[in-house]
Amino acid sequence: MSDSSGPLISVRDARYVYATGNVIALDSVNLTVHEGEIVGIIGQNGSGKTTLTKLLNGLLKPTSGHVVVNGADTAKHTVQQMASHIGYVFQNPNHQLFARTVTAELEFGPRNIGVPADEIAERVAKARDFFGLADYMDEHPYRVSFPIRKLVGIASIVTMAPRIIVLDEPSTGQDHRTTQVINDLIRRLRSEGTTVICVSHDMPLLADVVERVVVMKSATVIADASPREVFADAELMARTNLRAPQITQISLRTVVPQGGDVALGVPELADQISSWRSRQSDRREVRP
Amino acid sequence: MSMQVGLPIGLVPGDSFVHKLNPLTKGAWVLGYMILAFTTKSLYLLYGMALVALVLGLIAGVRRAMVKGLAILLPVFCSIVPLQIIAPAVPTPWELAGKIGPLSLYTPGVYVALMLFGRIFSCLAIALVLLLTTHPSDLFTSLAKLRVPYMLNFMLAMTMQLIPVFQREVGIIMSAQKSRGMKGSGFSAVLPSFVPVFVGAIERVQQLSISLESRGFGSQGKKTSYRQVSAGPVDWVVGIAALLLPLGAIYSLTHGMLDQAKSLIFPPTLVVSLFVVCALSFLALIFGAAFLTGRK
Repeated sequence: MSDSSGPLISVRDARYVYATGNVIALDSVNLTVHEGEIVGIIGQNGSGKTTLTKLLNGLLKPTSGHVVVNGADTAKHTVQQMASHIGYVFQNPNHQLFARTVTAELEFGPRNIGVPADEIAERVAKARDFFGLADYMDEHPYRVSFPIRKLVGIASIVTMAPRIIVLDEPSTGQDHRTTQVINDLIRRLRSEGTTVICVSHDMPLLADVVERVVVMKSATVIADASPREVFADAELMARTNLRAPQITQISLRTVVPQGGDVALGVPELADQISSWRSRQSDRREVRP
Repeated sequence: MSMQVGLPIGLVPGDSFVHKLNPLTKGAWVLGYMILAFTTKSLYLLYGMALVALVLGLIAGVRRAMVKGLAILLPVFCSIVPLQIIAPAVPTPWELAGKIGPLSLYTPGVYVALMLFGRIFSCLAIALVLLLTTHPSDLFTSLAKLRVPYMLNFMLAMTMQLIPVFQREVGIIMSAQKSRGMKGSGFSAVLPSFVPVFVGAIERVQQLSISLESRGFGSQGKKTSYRQVSAGPVDWVVGIAALLLPLGAIYSLTHGMLDQAKSLIFPPTLVVSLFVVCALSFLALIFGAAFLTGRK
């Protein structure tokens, strides 16, 4: 549907005012996302992150401006029509699970968008293996633990195989194992060419997997850069009341003043410290 | 995740005379309205009462919310009028106003329809004034002073507070299912939304009961209230004035002078026109709602 060279998502001068008329949720927002990009959206509560993602799948229609996703103007399409282009994983899995078994839950989305039965079975099997759900497929979704339920919620969107997936706070309240699966999922989706938009307050997760961070404040986009640039910008972090990942903060206070690079993860910081220490010992050795 | 949905009728903050009235005073007027509305047959009195309620809403600055609340009466009016014109809820013989195809239209139906609608209209209008100008906690604090059991009061308060919460949940759940390609209408749309709503409701109530018990709910002794509601001379005067309404009802019942069924004459042309306009409007509302639901 979309031009291969054009952006997959194009938001132009989007404005959204809630029906009550006194809350401007988005104001003059511009955003372009290309196929295969992994984009993180951060900002304080109420900054407009969720409203922006809801404009992308047509749950909300822009009050003014345009939102075009995979060549489809969301204002002219229903949410159901947009569902085959863009999948939306809600923060709370309880809001979307209803079927009698996990299997039926994973089949629901693909059935709605008319995927043939044999392909549905294939997709469900693939999701079962990736998310480690084999032991739960015949269980009722409400009988499994919350972290597993979260994975079922994500898997139920992945089986629809949309070109874009929006993850709303995927790691909130999750244990380490689930967060790791989500992390792996984003990497796999990237390798498969799926575009991922991840709304999150989990800075380490974003630092680890996204290649671009969009920062929102007071209904507008105020920064759009790589995670390294965004998290190293102390003034931006302070202005938005956000905190860079601890590893990044440590690197900014230790290796960066010594000429090292901003680190986003533990291995990067370890490498920086290691090379800094070897430089120090080299200097000591050449001293007369 | 935040999501805004239209909340049901609730307090519109303000500082008007109506806002400041004691909740029990306003409650007395609602009760009086109901007694009088369901005893009188006078159209003048019923619509006069509705007018008074509308003026009170205007004074209180809750016009917009009131119009929104009263809008639900539009389909009620459009259905009551044609039904009563076809089959008036009064003893026969009925005076024939005209015929449209196989349908016979009767003049007394207009009076009965206007009377039934006037009852609903006036009662809803005054109830909206109460709801839109009273903080729920103030209402229940006042009821506690009337020795309404604390448990019952608390249950009512919690129910009212949970309505907007559940409405918000329904909005989110519907959005979640539509995002998975679910059709927005029909029986197939019910189950995917129904299950999460009820499971969520049960979980919420379970958590709430544990939370309440852990904070001493159900302990013995006199309860105190964070909100204090007092009744001044104005509240007493206005409250006592509400007694005029049941007195009017007694007068209406004993004298029957407030029945204008015989004195108000509706010309046949008006009866037929009213029937056609209301019936077409009702159909337009139904098909319009079905079309919009289908589009969503």
